[in-house]
Amino acid sequence: MSTPAAEHAPGLAPADGTAARARGLTKAYGSGETAVIALDAVDVDITRGRFTAVMGPSGSGKSTLMHCLAGLDTVSAGQVWLGDTEITGLKDRELTRLRRDRIGFMFQSFNLIPTLNARENITLPMDIAGRKPDEAWLDQVIDTLGLRDRLKHRPAQLSGGQQQRVACARALASRPELIFADEPTGNLDSRAGLEVLGFLREAVDRLDQTVVMVTHDPGAAAHSDLVLFLADGRIVDETHRPTAESVLERMKRFDVARATPRGTGRRDGEAGGTPGGGVGGGEG
Amino acid sequence: MLKATLRSFLAHKGRLLLSALAVVLSVAFVAGSLIFSDTVSRTFDRLFASSSADVTVQPREDLEAAVPTGAVATVPAGLARRLGGVEGVASAHPDVEVENVTVVDDRNESVGPTTGAPTLAVDWHVTERSVVELTSGRTPRGDGEAVLDADTADAKGVEIGDTLTVQAQPGSFDVEVVGIATFTTTNPGAALVFLEPEVAATRLLGSADRATSVSVEAAPGVPDAELKRRITAELGAAGYTIRTADETAETASEELGAFLDVIKYAMLGFAGIAVLVGVFLIVNTFSMLIAQRTRELGLLRALGADRRQVRRSVLTEAVLLGLAGSTVGLAAGVGLAFGLIGLMSAFGMNLKTTEMVVGWATPVSAYVVGVGVTFVAAYLPARRAASVSPMAALADAEVAGVGRPLRARAVAGGVIGALGAAALLGCVLSGETATAASLLGLGVVLTLVATVVAGPLLVRPVIRVLGAAFPAVFGAVGRMSQRNALRNPRRTGATAAALMVGLALVGGLSVASASMSRSFDEQIDKTLGADFVIQNANFMPFPAEITDRVRDTEGVGLVVRQRFAPVAVRLPDGERIETTAAGYDDGVDDVARVTYAEGGTAAALADGGIAMDAGFAAEHGVRLGDRVPLEFPGSRRAEFTVAALTDMAGGEGFAMRGGLFLGIAAVEEYVPGGQDSTLYVNAAAGTSPDELRDRLEAALDPYPQVQARDQADYKDLVHDQIAVLLYLVYALLGLAIVIAVLGVVNTLALSVVERTREIGLLRAIGLGRRQLRRMIRLESVVIAVFGAVLGLGLGLVWGVCIQQVLALEGMTAFAVPWGTVVAVVVGSAAVGVAAALLPALRASRMNVLEAIAHE
Repeated sequence: MSTPAAEHAPGLAPADGTAARARGLTKAYGSGETAVIALDAVDVDITRGRFTAVMGPSGSGKSTLMHCLAGLDTVSAGQVWLGDTEITGLKDRELTRLRRDRIGFMFQSFNLIPTLNARENITLPMDIAGRKPDEAWLDQVIDTLGLRDRLKHRPAQLSGGQQQRVACARALASRPELIFADEPTGNLDSRAGLEVLGFLREAVDRLDQTVVMVTHDPGAAAHSDLVLFLADGRIVDETHRPTAESVLERMKRFDVARATPRGTGRRDGEAGGTPGGGVGGGEG
Repeated sequence: MLKATLRSFLAHKGRLLLSALAVVLSVAFVAGSLIFSDTVSRTFDRLFASSSADVTVQPREDLEAAVPTGAVATVPAGLARRLGGVEGVASAHPDVEVENVTVVDDRNESVGPTTGAPTLAVDWHVTERSVVELTSGRTPRGDGEAVLDADTADAKGVEIGDTLTVQAQPGSFDVEVVGIATFTTTNPGAALVFLEPEVAATRLLGSADRATSVSVEAAPGVPDAELKRRITAELGAAGYTIRTADETAETASEELGAFLDVIKYAMLGFAGIAVLVGVFLIVNTFSMLIAQRTRELGLLRALGADRRQVRRSVLTEAVLLGLAGSTVGLAAGVGLAFGLIGLMSAFGMNLKTTEMVVGWATPVSAYVVGVGVTFVAAYLPARRAASVSPMAALADAEVAGVGRPLRARAVAGGVIGALGAAALLGCVLSGETATAASLLGLGVVLTLVATVVAGPLLVRPVIRVLGAAFPAVFGAVGRMSQRNALRNPRRTGATAAALMVGLALVGGLSVASASMSRSFDEQIDKTLGADFVIQNANFMPFPAEITDRVRDTEGVGLVVRQRFAPVAVRLPDGERIETTAAGYDDGVDDVARVTYAEGGTAAALADGGIAMDAGFAAEHGVRLGDRVPLEFPGSRRAEFTVAALTDMAGGEGFAMRGGLFLGIAAVEEYVPGGQDSTLYVNAAAGTSPDELRDRLEAALDPYPQVQARDQADYKDLVHDQIAVLLYLVYALLGLAIVIAVLGVVNTLALSVVERTREIGLLRAIGLGRRQLRRMIRLESVVIAVFGAVLGLGLGLVWGVCIQQVLALEGMTAFAVPWGTVVAVVVGSAAVGVAAALLPALRASRMNVLEAIAHE
């Protein structure tokens, strides 16, 4: 019902396309009485060429939403598209390839392979794929992030801010359809954090990338074009052109809401059933 | 604190599993060796103690025959009657027991053991001391009847009524099997043929008036020692060896004991290597566990645990591991001993597993080895754990200890390596075998230690080279696997060192054996001129009728016999040297190429002449024409004139110091009853060697113990004998290599755990499962090949030095078995692939999100 044929190849689409989409996205951990619903029938559209922030209190499901959109986690019910590709139901190998070729990642910490230098880390997804990087684009990314003189350094020789810049460069290097950033400033001091946010902003504005950032910091969210607020596994609100103050105000209301007992029907979105063993492929 | 230790031990038991397995294997090998050798010695001690007569009178043993001569020393049978008259003697029986016989069935196949154990022909004289009892048929009566032991009858399918041919020194004769006798004690693996006593003496010794010993039983109340004293008084001290039952048993045990000790120490030696290799594994495990727990240890320290408590906690964990490993290892050792005993019975030695001896030394050694090894191996990691600063609890350090400088190792490795190199150089330059051998041993140990100590320093340069092609061939995966192997040089070094130890020994020994084989080949080419060499496969002498038959074979030209004589030679410098002299027929020059410094074959083989190695002669001040006195067995003495000095590489072979040889007539005169050991045969004019081979094989058909070999066959025989020894050593080293492989598995498995987050990240940004597995596999291969390269490099150096020692013994050729070298490298790469299987599988099955979130 919902595969719009209008979607076109990545990189060409104007700012009004949809980079990723989810319909009825549900994620449950465990089953039966003890089941915990992390995402409850979420519908979301990530607009191409925009900087979207996902906010919410701890346990609201914001990281799970990102993991499901990025093909890192399996869903219990619902559908997820990346561009015009439905990724729900893809096998591990296809998902891996998808992440490698079409998605860029930044994590909160431990973003880089310690044995590889900065340049090798930046080109790693393409090296894994056995593809040659687009040198002109790569140069542009490296210069934008100011990493030119750090390329031969190993992660241990870089500061935390520099490491996150390298991670940002890696996420951009293959010109992916979508960049996911999971608390990218969580481990940085405020100056380095601002720098990284500035680069993400620039990636969207100047390099025409699409960024989804999960954060709990209203100041970070203020750099985005659109903030989605999650609570109890649902998108409860959104703010366009946010400021730190407006986000903070919105977050404060959660604290009040949390203090009152929840009354919403928790199992609304579970019509499709909960496939068992949806979590992970092996033991830790 | 103890509770925390126990918790930690249990929490990490999965990670300690392979360390425990290494302890189990080492301890099992030690315990199995001890139990096996204790069981064998106990069994034989009992056998000898129960079967020895109160007093045994034997011919005096003055010269021990290092090379078998085929002669049997005897006493007059009348001695028994004379001893019967001594006061306190209840009975005296003349025994006949010889092992210079071959028994064949009607298809001309030997019924003797195939293991090299002897065939004994014995007189049938049953007392309560006999080791056998008649279990079917009847006793032998008169000529042409015999009783066979049951194990041999079973093994060779001989039944009562069958005819066997006994080939004895005086001549062959046929016997009908009239009875089967079964061992009441352990069968040591020999085949036994019993004859009526008088027949035995006539047929085996050539005269009814001879015996090989006299067994004397004491009258009630007469102690053995007292009886021995009385018999000694009666016979005089010279001429006989007189032993009480205890002394007989002790002598027999000592002779066997020397052989068993060789086996025992060889097995313990290999157990030692296995233990050494296990140490590497345990050191690595504890180092890694502590690196992984740095923050936890830091927290303990921050909460107020002092250094000693942290150290003790780690060491307690090690001791628990050692105790558990030793206990299982001890049990496994019992199982191993069972297996060894089973193996021995496959070779005809029927030990009873129910009589397995577990002496107190076995469990003590097991626990000392098991606990000691783990304690020692964990000591350094424990000290490192204790030095973790409380600040580590707060730091976000990935792995502690990675960057610690290797300077101390460089210095220690350099110093030890220099000492080792000096020792090896000394070995190469030394002109004396004993000195060279001890310098070799010292050099081998020192260079091994140096390589182990300095191994981590070699990791970077060697793996850079080994893995240089990886990024080009395998892309990013190849680059990361190479870097991962380089990541922690200590860990890679210790893992590879375990493999290195075994492979260095394999390398050294394979060079030594290849050099030996080539030396023998060259020596055979250089010295052997005969068309055929006729010999017993175990180099045992054979009866004269074989010689006669060869001589009578059509197409045989020259036949030169070789016999050996144990001799003691008194030299002008005053030294008395016991050695073996060889006797030859005339015509040696036609079947062998002997080079002389002075004199020639004719003079050496002439009556009263003897040839000597020129180097030996010079060392002891002997010159051509000197007269040297020789002693032969049975106190026969004669003077010989040194009529020729030989100048040959390998002239002084094993047990042949001085390279003495003389005319065969002298050997026949001074070693009466001796047999020929070798026949050198040339084809007559007009007969081709191939024709002659067929005829010789036909002529020798009734004598399965001897074979006619040309040069190529002879070389094969020598190669096979060297190879058997080598394969035995390889099999024992196999255990060390298995433990080393476990070490690689262990390191990889722990590294995978340690790099969980990194693996999660790689998977998140698009590394496929198959690529991840390949990355780990390549790391494993590079570690294993690094170990192999290091080991083979060291082994080749050792091989060169071993060859130099061998050269002093006349084995001058040098050969490197490149086939083996290549096979070891390829094999180690395969081992790397195999070792990576489980760790790679585990890594590829990790859940990406959990891995990223892993602490």
